[in-house]
Amino acid sequence: MLRGRKSTNADLNVVPMVDMMTMLVIFLLQQFSATGEVLFMQKDIKLPDARHGQQIEVAPVVAISAAQVVISGQRVAEVAEVEKDPSQIIGNLVEKLRDEKKRWDFIHQNDQDREKNWKGEVNVQADVRVPFRIVRRVMASAAEAGYGNVNLATVEESTVAAAAAARAPR
Amino acid sequence: MGGGAMPEAGHGRRKRRALDANVNVVPAIDLLSCCISFLLFTAVWTQIGRLQTAPLGNGAPAESQPTKSITVTLTIGQNGYVLATSAGTQIEIPLSGRTSDGAVLYDLKALEERLKKLKVDFPDQAAITVAADDAVLYADLVHTIDACVGAGLANVSVMGAS
Repeated sequence: MLRGRKSTNADLNVVPMVDMMTMLVIFLLQQFSATGEVLFMQKDIKLPDARHGQQIEVAPVVAISAAQVVISGQRVAEVAEVEKDPSQIIGNLVEKLRDEKKRWDFIHQNDQDREKNWKGEVNVQADVRVPFRIVRRVMASAAEAGYGNVNLATVEESTVAAAAAARAPR
Repeated sequence: MGGGAMPEAGHGRRKRRALDANVNVVPAIDLLSCCISFLLFTAVWTQIGRLQTAPLGNGAPAESQPTKSITVTLTIGQNGYVLATSAGTQIEIPLSGRTSDGAVLYDLKALEERLKKLKVDFPDQAAITVAADDAVLYADLVHTIDACVGAGLANVSVMGAS
């Protein structure tokens, strides 16, 4: 006699998986930033935390670490050289920022309200241990090149608290 | 997927249609998977903010002063804060201490209280000039500006103290 075989068809309950994926999509949509990553975190730069920071906007980024000053990935000066230099501005930085401004002018050459739309913003991403005498020269250089609004990059305090909680031993 | 009530055994002539229906969720799962992949790739995990400042002098934009306001200058030095106004007040806020490696600790709480009191006295006031000593660390400068913005003095200009 033939023994009755079990049916190989099995129903997989996908409802919990769909629920989980929906929750994940909602969470990620809440986290979504249309601006994208304006600043890239660097190993040698630790940003200070702040509670009242606004959302960062796209602008040229001047990164100041303990060793060097970098704009848009290009090194413009060594911090040790800047400290020795009696000048209040960093020549290479002014030059690069003027190039950035020329590029912006070229892109917006057909814009009728070009002067009105020019915000003159520059993002400064400096390490917590950098002294103000370096930051001051960067700010003076930015002002010299026509960038009158300096945004100091900070990490939102909630992010810092979450990272500290994740690192804490249990 | 969602179950419905079982149809009662029909005694009538007409056969009732079953209420149970199978919804094909495979396209929904495909769509959700694509969404999750895209959002994970484009996610920004570190929330970076900005504190807007203007360097004083050197072509900085002119500050628009409201009618009922004073000039407020906050000096950050190696001995603490000095909050001075054009109304004639000058308040010194000494350091709260020093760390084991000799770094200065500024009394941010006292500063916040003073700034809030100033804001109560001059509600129209939005501008403040922060004059920092050359040796002041960037972190201390940012925390000070953050305290000013938190107290409602959002129009911050920065200059050197020396």
